[in-house]
Amino acid sequence: MSSGGGGATPPPEEDRILGAFAGLAIGDAAGWPAARHRSLRLAPWSRRLHRELDAFAEERQVTTLPVPFALNQPVEPLALGPSDDAEWLAWTASTIHENRAEAFGRLAQREDLRARISVWSALDNLAAGLGPPASGHDNPHFFDDAAAVRAVAFGAAGMDPVADAEVTNSGDGVLGAVAVATAVGALVRGAPMRQAVDAAVAALPEDTAIGHAARTAVAVAREHGDPFSAVPALDAALLDHVYSYGVTAAETVPIALALADAAMSAAGSPGSASAPGSTGSAASGAAFGAAVSAAACLASVADSAPALTGALAGAYTGYEALPRAWREAARPLAGCCLPELAGTDLLDVARTLASGGPKRSGPAQDATAQDATRQGDGAQSGLRQNGSTQRGTA
Amino acid sequence: MTVPLAPAGSPRDRARGCLLGLAAGDALGAPAENMTPEAIAARWGVLAEIEGGGTDDTEYSLFAASLLLRHGHALTSEDVAEAWRAEIVARLDGPMRGAGFSELGTVRALRRGLGPPLSGRWHPHGWSDGLAMRAAPYGIFAAGDPDEAARLAEIDGRVSHSGEGVLGGRAVAAAVAVAMTGAGPDEVVEAGLRAVPGDSWTARAARKALAIVRDGSERTSREEFARALHDSVVVKHYPWTDLAPEAVALAFSAYVRGGGEVEAAVVTAANLGRDADTTAAIAGALAGAGAGEAGVPERWARRVGPVAGRCLPVVAGRHVRDAADRLADTLTGRPEGGPVAALVGGPADGRPGGSEGPTDAG
Repeated sequence: MSSGGGGATPPPEEDRILGAFAGLAIGDAAGWPAARHRSLRLAPWSRRLHRELDAFAEERQVTTLPVPFALNQPVEPLALGPSDDAEWLAWTASTIHENRAEAFGRLAQREDLRARISVWSALDNLAAGLGPPASGHDNPHFFDDAAAVRAVAFGAAGMDPVADAEVTNSGDGVLGAVAVATAVGALVRGAPMRQAVDAAVAALPEDTAIGHAARTAVAVAREHGDPFSAVPALDAALLDHVYSYGVTAAETVPIALALADAAMSAAGSPGSASAPGSTGSAASGAAFGAAVSAAACLASVADSAPALTGALAGAYTGYEALPRAWREAARPLAGCCLPELAGTDLLDVARTLASGGPKRSGPAQDATAQDATRQGDGAQSGLRQNGSTQRGTA
Repeated sequence: MTVPLAPAGSPRDRARGCLLGLAAGDALGAPAENMTPEAIAARWGVLAEIEGGGTDDTEYSLFAASLLLRHGHALTSEDVAEAWRAEIVARLDGPMRGAGFSELGTVRALRRGLGPPLSGRWHPHGWSDGLAMRAAPYGIFAAGDPDEAARLAEIDGRVSHSGEGVLGGRAVAAAVAVAMTGAGPDEVVEAGLRAVPGDSWTARAARKALAIVRDGSERTSREEFARALHDSVVVKHYPWTDLAPEAVALAFSAYVRGGGEVEAAVVTAANLGRDADTTAAIAGALAGAGAGEAGVPERWARRVGPVAGRCLPVVAGRHVRDAADRLADTLTGRPEGGPVAALVGGPADGRPGGSEGPTDAG
């Protein structure tokens, strides 16, 4: 069924913004690479032993290693929780009203970061005096989804993600950010999932890898009906496994759009009593879990596909509909990429963004968004024809 | 040497110099691939003697030459894709040995039923130096016409590359086209850079590298030169060495520092490390086109035999000298024939034509 029906009261915009942030962090935590990223909070010797044990396993033909471990160290870093994507989202939300090259330029002076190849290459370019868009273009991994992850903040704030994306990415990497901001922007303003996904796909030219992959992924997932059923077909249709850089935007963004779409379309709209004996909220919470779990099953893209899937699904269901235990686990940031964020509550960051901060210097809220309903056209009125979200900046 | 030399400066002489220089650079650089200049110096002092055979650079260049001999100026990207399907993909029955990410990604894309230009965009390695390494034949074929050489290289590249990878191929093809006229290194590399937008990674990297060469590099040691180039154009946070902007920058600067002499250019490039077989092959192609066959050290030329087909079985047994003669003969209108005729699968076609422009640039 279409997710546009129902007629029950949708969650308010702030709840959906919080849902986008918490959804991303839950997906981030659900993917297996999170434990690896979070182990960066442990002493370097524990990771050195990990590398030595890898050699041991190869020599002795051992399949499964006793790693990662926290011998004589706090175990919290290895507990379930968010990692790189949630931290970069928090950093983005906290600096969202600053000039992007300047915000990244401050990072370029630092040596205590952990970041993707695209981000490091961009920081190296900035340090060498090469600003955007060349900093994102003269970049071996310009095509990754670092900007797409950050675009969750821009979509939630109703802002254009391109100036931010172009600092670290180019081509499909920027298009991935546009697609994510388009979808998240539409969802937090009340659009149905299918409408948001279709708008995001429409923003991707067909003759690009990401545009071709997005259309393929959405069609494959719709054919299979629910997210878990679609996993093998998505793996076959999208992932070539020739070059396993697991955060390629042309892979992760299409998978996120397809799985969020399949999950929510199968579950019905939030707030609607679509399953006997359950509340609508519980139903959409279960659909959220189905979408994120399916993304986490795709091992080669499990670093960020679950996070992006969770952001889209959470922006649709709202924060209150998300599974409570997961919500709690996803809030405290580990500081594994940006050490100063250790202990930061992601929900506080999201609330600040939802209330117009931090250091809000941009335009006032657009009245259209406040009037948007799931049935109305208003949800899309903030979307420009080119698919990017540029609300209220005229 | 059993094959008599062609008249100095003739198309055959320059074409042979180009492809022998390429094959020699490929073979010389192969053992230094992925090494740092410091590690190369520690192992060889200066790597100047060929140890083994050539690799993908030579074999894919022979494949490109066969496309030109079959289709000439009328070559289309669909012709190239069809050749990949029939002569590369269809013959694969296991691992694709000696192939880089862009070739493997292209095969996957073609097997999915995609065609150009999406086949070159579907995999994320559009920027690899896999087109630049095989672009020299386009420069030979369009000698003196760098625009046409770049256009043809791009037609080839649209099957397997996109963005900066296409630009790297355009730059090398255009530079070889001008080297085929006997122009000096500065004029040659400038022609190469005119074939790419100034606002491109390829142009920015090459400009930085050439500035290091021209800024008194004759006073710097090999080690200092290598370090300065690495600090300037090598991407620090990326684990592989196959970026076209970097490879073209290293190759062009080694060629200029070598003063256009084959041995100096090739040895300089190979000892820079990184994708050493490809950068030395490009530097050798440029210098060889200018110096002619006699400019390629005989001790190297003796080691260049028919290729084994280790990377591309379809070209096994072909010799770069024969391919060079066939390409050169399209320039002079000499009669067709010779041992390559049976191998390229059809008559040479020298007609001008084709209309695909540099639409994928940038």
